[in-house]
Amino acid sequence: MNNPYLELTEEFNQGRLRALLSSGQAVVMHRLAVMSKDGDWILREDAEAIEHVLAVLAAHGARYRFGAPLDLRWLAGGWSAHLESRRESLRLRTDFVTRPPRVSPDWLARMWEEADATGNEVVGLEPLAALKLTNRDKDYAVVGELARLMTDLHSQFRYSRSSRDLIKLAEEHPAVLAEATRQRPLLTRIAEGRDALEEALDRERRALIHANEERLARYLASTQAWASLWPDVQRQIAGMSLPEAHRLLVARAEGVLPFEPAPRGES
Amino acid sequence: MIEIRDEFLSEEDLDLRNLSHEELIAYWNLWLEQAQATNDLDKALYSHGVFERDPAPGQ
Repeated sequence: MNNPYLELTEEFNQGRLRALLSSGQAVVMHRLAVMSKDGDWILREDAEAIEHVLAVLAAHGARYRFGAPLDLRWLAGGWSAHLESRRESLRLRTDFVTRPPRVSPDWLARMWEEADATGNEVVGLEPLAALKLTNRDKDYAVVGELARLMTDLHSQFRYSRSSRDLIKLAEEHPAVLAEATRQRPLLTRIAEGRDALEEALDRERRALIHANEERLARYLASTQAWASLWPDVQRQIAGMSLPEAHRLLVARAEGVLPFEPAPRGES
Repeated sequence: MIEIRDEFLSEEDLDLRNLSHEELIAYWNLWLEQAQATNDLDKALYSHGVFERDPAPGQ
């Protein structure tokens, strides 16, 4: 017995590592909770990887949802591509990025190096925690538990959402705390006790939520023209094979959906 | 003495750690089956990426 998202991951990575299982399904693989019915992958940003993944999705009869084309020019601008297929009674959503939010280019390169070295097809604990710093409250519960699975003390200091855990970590590892504080100023509040630290954790969560909302707003502002075109595009691609639909989607999106979202305040 | 700790997820969620791989897959697949019940409700919505809503779901 296998799981459809694990099977897809294996197919995406046939012969070469191209896709890392991410977000909710990665949380399952880290044995924390089952909380999402959609699949999300970080793809390697090269043409062969994209072509292979499209071919796998075509073989499964996938169709495009509203989103960016699975094309390097948009993916390199941080856009996401969204496809959907059916497997027996299941609706399988397959979502893709090559530039995950809150992961720097250097960090992303290291993630791929590590994945190549270990063959691990699932996003690791630290980058997964960074991905989960979203605008949804429920994701912060996941980050809190992910931090407890981390073995690296710096990472625990960086991602813990628990005042008790942070106070205990600080008592046991004061030297690491001093270094970690440079990355996470909130840690200076540990010395003031639980109440002050919990206030700071709440404030930090709200700031992270707002930062992600602002990031999404930049993309949203750049999708208006594409969204108004979408009902027509959707009618055109209905009934097409995925390769045909992909070609048409790319042609229609060019000049309408910018490769990079507009900077804040411009749209 | 029982040490109180900050709770983020339920004991049931965290119990995934005690499952064998086969048990995890069986539980995961059953959960996915049951979650299909809300497909109509979230037809236009996105759980990942930079899009929030399909402007023409299911046309």
